[in-house]
Amino acid sequence: MLSRRVLILQLSTTALVGALVSRIRSAAAADKTVKIGINLPFTGADAHDAELIKDGALLAIDEANAQGGAAGYKIEVLLLDDGTATAGQYDPAQAATNARKMVADKGVVAAIGPQMSGSGKAMSPILSQGDLATITPSSTNPDITDPKFAGQYRPKGKAIYFRTVTTDAFQGPNMANYYADVLKVKSVYVLDDSGAYGVGIADTFQAQAEKRGIKVLGRDQLNPKETDYATTLTKIKSLNPDALYYGGVAQAGVKVVKQASDILPKMIKGGGDGLYGAEILRGAGFPAAAGWYATIAAPNILENAEAAPVIDRFAKKYGQQPENYSITAYDAALVILDAIKRVAASGKEITREAVRDAMQTARVETIQGEITFDENGDLQNRVISVFRIVKDDKYPPDDVLHQYKYLGVAPQSS
Amino acid sequence: MTRTPARLAVFGITAAALLFPLVNQNDADIDSAANALAFAALALGLNIVVGFAGLLDLGYAAFFAIGAYAYGVASSWQLQPAWSSFWEPFQWLDLVIRFHTAGGDVVHFQVSFWLMLPIAAAIAAFFGVLFGAPTLRLKGDYLAIVTLGFGEIVPIVARNIPSVTNGAMGLNGVAAPRFFGFDFGIDATPYYYVGVAIVAFLILTSQRLKDSRIGRAWMAIREDEVAATAMGVDRVRYKLLAFAIGAAFAGATGTFYVAKLQTATPEMFMFPVSVMILVMVVFGGIGSVWGVVVGALILQILQSWFLEDLSEWLHALGRFVGVDWLQHVELASSIELIFGLILVLMMLYRREGLIPAARRTRTLSLDEQTVQPARSGFTNLAARDDGSRLPLLEIVDLAVRFGGLVALQSVELSVPAHSVVAVIGPNGSGKSTLFNAVTGLVPTDQGTIRFAGEEIGRLRPHQVLDRGIARTFQNIRLFPNLSVLENVMVGMHARLVTGPVGAVLRLPATRGEEAAARERALEILSLFGNRLLPRAEHPAASLSYANRRRTEIARALAAQPKLLMLDEPTAGMNPAETLELADQIGSLNRYGLTVLLIEHKLDVVAMLADKVVVLDHGEKIAEGPPAAVRRDEEVIRAYLGRSAVFA
Amino acid sequence: MSDYGVLLQQVINGLSLGAMYALLALGFTLVYGILELINFAHFNVFMVSSFVGMWALELLGISGQGQVLTGLALAGTLLFAFAVTMLAGGVLGVAIERLSLRPLRGVPGTAAMITTIGVSYILFNVILLTVGAGSENYPNPLPVVRWQFGEVIIELKTLLIWGVAIALMMALQLFVNRTRLGKAMRATAQDPEAARMMGVDVDRVVVTAFFLGSALAGAAALIFGLYYNYTSFIIGYTAGLRAFTAAVLGGIGSIPGAMVGGVLIGLIETLGGQLIAVRWTDVIIFSILILVLVFVPTGLFGRAAPTKS
Repeated sequence: MLSRRVLILQLSTTALVGALVSRIRSAAAADKTVKIGINLPFTGADAHDAELIKDGALLAIDEANAQGGAAGYKIEVLLLDDGTATAGQYDPAQAATNARKMVADKGVVAAIGPQMSGSGKAMSPILSQGDLATITPSSTNPDITDPKFAGQYRPKGKAIYFRTVTTDAFQGPNMANYYADVLKVKSVYVLDDSGAYGVGIADTFQAQAEKRGIKVLGRDQLNPKETDYATTLTKIKSLNPDALYYGGVAQAGVKVVKQASDILPKMIKGGGDGLYGAEILRGAGFPAAAGWYATIAAPNILENAEAAPVIDRFAKKYGQQPENYSITAYDAALVILDAIKRVAASGKEITREAVRDAMQTARVETIQGEITFDENGDLQNRVISVFRIVKDDKYPPDDVLHQYKYLGVAPQSS
Repeated sequence: MTRTPARLAVFGITAAALLFPLVNQNDADIDSAANALAFAALALGLNIVVGFAGLLDLGYAAFFAIGAYAYGVASSWQLQPAWSSFWEPFQWLDLVIRFHTAGGDVVHFQVSFWLMLPIAAAIAAFFGVLFGAPTLRLKGDYLAIVTLGFGEIVPIVARNIPSVTNGAMGLNGVAAPRFFGFDFGIDATPYYYVGVAIVAFLILTSQRLKDSRIGRAWMAIREDEVAATAMGVDRVRYKLLAFAIGAAFAGATGTFYVAKLQTATPEMFMFPVSVMILVMVVFGGIGSVWGVVVGALILQILQSWFLEDLSEWLHALGRFVGVDWLQHVELASSIELIFGLILVLMMLYRREGLIPAARRTRTLSLDEQTVQPARSGFTNLAARDDGSRLPLLEIVDLAVRFGGLVALQSVELSVPAHSVVAVIGPNGSGKSTLFNAVTGLVPTDQGTIRFAGEEIGRLRPHQVLDRGIARTFQNIRLFPNLSVLENVMVGMHARLVTGPVGAVLRLPATRGEEAAARERALEILSLFGNRLLPRAEHPAASLSYANRRRTEIARALAAQPKLLMLDEPTAGMNPAETLELADQIGSLNRYGLTVLLIEHKLDVVAMLADKVVVLDHGEKIAEGPPAAVRRDEEVIRAYLGRSAVFA
Repeated sequence: MSDYGVLLQQVINGLSLGAMYALLALGFTLVYGILELINFAHFNVFMVSSFVGMWALELLGISGQGQVLTGLALAGTLLFAFAVTMLAGGVLGVAIERLSLRPLRGVPGTAAMITTIGVSYILFNVILLTVGAGSENYPNPLPVVRWQFGEVIIELKTLLIWGVAIALMMALQLFVNRTRLGKAMRATAQDPEAARMMGVDVDRVVVTAFFLGSALAGAAALIFGLYYNYTSFIIGYTAGLRAFTAAVLGGIGSIPGAMVGGVLIGLIETLGGQLIAVRWTDVIIFSILILVLVFVPTGLFGRAAPTKS
């Protein structure tokens, strides 16, 4: 007589085997469609931002499809989630699996994403091996496109990790230049939020600040899960620097902004593109947020006349304003669509290799201006735009486009 | 229970695992499967700690991180110390190479993946011992919190030492494994097979440990730590062993995981990961080797393969039934919630998990249950009475105090070898405390306890057992979920020598020892006639009260004691059972065993004891042969009160 | 700012933090004292309560920090908010006990604790999925009043924290020492069997402990929101671990211990951050937890040692 335990074991075996067998895919018949993979962390702490990026990309893709697709090819989207419950946020292991998924699916000719550089590091070698190019709207860690690490991240040599956002290698240092040249800052205290992005941008800011002769009075790391930053801010108050720089995202950023307005009301305060967004306005509110400087790794979109209708269409379709990265995602999609069109126009078959080559030579008019890439896949137009939060009562308090006042371009390092 | 269906199932699973990448060539699926295998390995490791030894570890991911970063640092470009002649032997061993840079020659570490697997396991085990040593004596829930603390500290430290780990930004350039010149590269298939090999090895190791002296010791600790120490298990040592081996599993898996991913960030090893592994163990079946593997595979594969399909299915169901939220639910984002629910529901309704660790045993037939028990003394014990009557146990001026309460005061007791001494006294007189003091469960404040000439007052319980004193407890402390036979074999723990290495390798010496131990255990069970033998495979908790008492005595006998201490052995038995047991104790004594016995039933005392000692309020008030003590005025006054003396 | 001034300010900061940790630790130690159970769900009860407080204030029409009230209106609003939040916390705590812990009463081992981990996860994710991951701006009717003493600044909200925390702690002490139910709780904490034999309804005592503990968490949650003008799904996590350390440091099961422990941890956090660096705060606090448990398991005031005999 079979014991129940063995029965369960057998059933599980059968189930597992059945599951494995059912995963054998048959090749999909290629219609006049091409696929674009979108890999973002829809599970966990970054889910909200991932949605906004997806919305930006989908806006461009849906609009293209509505007009018959790119060069007659309908665009199908393969949505992949690189966030897992195990990690509670983006998971590099899942990102690697997703990269393989995209590479294995012959219909995928290009990809958008990832959101986080940690995923990018895991995905890049796989994408390179599979000759599949991706454009990220938000991953800013410079290592992935750095020629020094080319052997690791693009073993096949050609650039496949493109960005519609400038890396931390520029955003941090250019803001340091701005602090030195425009704000005439002589001493600064640097904070980061202990995340990969925050540490990176704070490091590059600090290095450049020191080069420019700004005294760095101290550097510390905040725990984004903690709430009370009064300790650090009080310490900073006692050291009395001219300015504060915060590298990091909104989770800690909101609390820094809120509490700094109590403890450091008169100090010059600024940060990177983690401080640019509706979450800061909503979370910190006025008067706390007023006066903070923020940068984005792209030209100011409001300067571009093309931007306004897109913003309207986004707002109408999704019921909220696009964020910084929604725009870069929209632009990323535009680049891919343009590449597909050019490949079709040259009479070649739409393959991922061809699309990658076309992306390399892209020259596309987008909301953030003209986009071209260098041989590593980085944006050639390395504009860092500086903004300041100035309360505009004519608009709702979480209206990003109007509460952030554009001040100009941050000076490039010579 | 026949083994063939189980063997067939294992064969089927192995075949499926090996053939999978050939059948499904999708690289992404193979990669998912490899990730799932990594988590199965982690679940196996945690199972040793939580399932076998019963230690709740909430920071298990710390060891995962340690193994991962060990390999990451040893095989990437992260650390580049300046070159010096110190490194030459390492270069000769092919562990490092000399690398020319603009700033001078530096060392580049390139320790082989295969070498790093055991090394990372060893490093993790070291940290397991380091974390465990000061903390393993804490109670279960406190240990959980401390391990949670370690689980938090390790990724934070990894983040805060960027020169070694590249901090929050993650390691770059971790080398892929090479196998005789073949570079694994990015293709998932070779990693998958390595994963299968690792999991297979860990399953084998777990099974072998479980069915060995080590596994029994762990499970004894899990079931009843106090009884385990009284039976000779050095609980600190074994807890550390469980911790270290569990950590080793995680360390090796960390190396594997990072080699596949070729990067590592501190965020990959935080608290949610530790909880996830715990959920896998709980879901699969705490303590069950195959259970946790299946649990881990199901939960991982559920996340990476089936979630979108399940969401679609739910949407369709929602449309069919007309329920709105069903149509919009995205399981991917709710998966953490689902895991929380799994944890709670499993604990409430199916604590054993999917595949329970406990075996079902066949029920006894009606005949077997109603057979007349053979009542007799023991007839097949080797006679060991050598005639000497020197004191085996000597207690001089013993005092035990609990805070302000004086439990024992100025107690003197001498147990001659090969005699039976009974300790009697009213409730609360300190009899059990006396036993606890002798066996090391309670510290003494004054006095000496000498056994066979050696001072044993400072020894820990398992050391006391080792010297030759075995005991039973007043309220029977068996290991409820272990079988009768296993309970008795735990008693032999101190007389066997197999260590963890021997248990895993199952050398002939080990197998011989196990077989002999099993035989001896069955022999001891057979001393009780047909009471215990038919129930040898049954869990101890399922036995009648009297049989449990007998099992406890059998367990004590298995330790080959010179002195057997029985705490109210006939309590709760009916007169027939009492007489039978008294007979058996008598036979044990006639064949050489010295017995010290706490008893309330004065007829048993009269029947067995050569000498009776009477305690009252922690002091000895009388001593002598049973008849004399029975008439002693002090004794009567203690038991019955002042007025009874004149009765 | 002079060194002395900044240290003093950090002490003030630490005391405010400490008051909050103390309130959280109290609720935690109450349950542990009676059930010897580490209730992981406690800290997410705290988090959920802070949202309830937010909704209660919004119900009264307050949003953001712009609408300031004074005098009777302020007192009435605060009273209402505290009442609602504490009640919500208490009810949630009791529900958790009833549904997930009572069935496991008497089951040996760590089954109950594992269940509380599961419940904690559920609460956490329910909020994450419904309200989202963003930070919420807390409605706050308190006027911003600052007093400057030399280089040190004390705000009205700081006094509010101390005032409420002390009042609640005194009320708890009175309850536990003077009322029958409180006496029953203390008896059960010392010896559940004996208490039961003396006629104490242990179930009722357990429910009371959960209710009181969770209500205190609710109070802490509202104070938290009013102090930081902020709440989000993650606030239970770190505050929880710190409060747990506070309870252990003070002696698990001891009420004065939880209060003193809370204040100590608050001070360690701020002074450690000032004198060393904030990035090491977690490591420092966990190390303290481990060291206390290993070397002084009874904590400062505790009575029961968390080791097996």
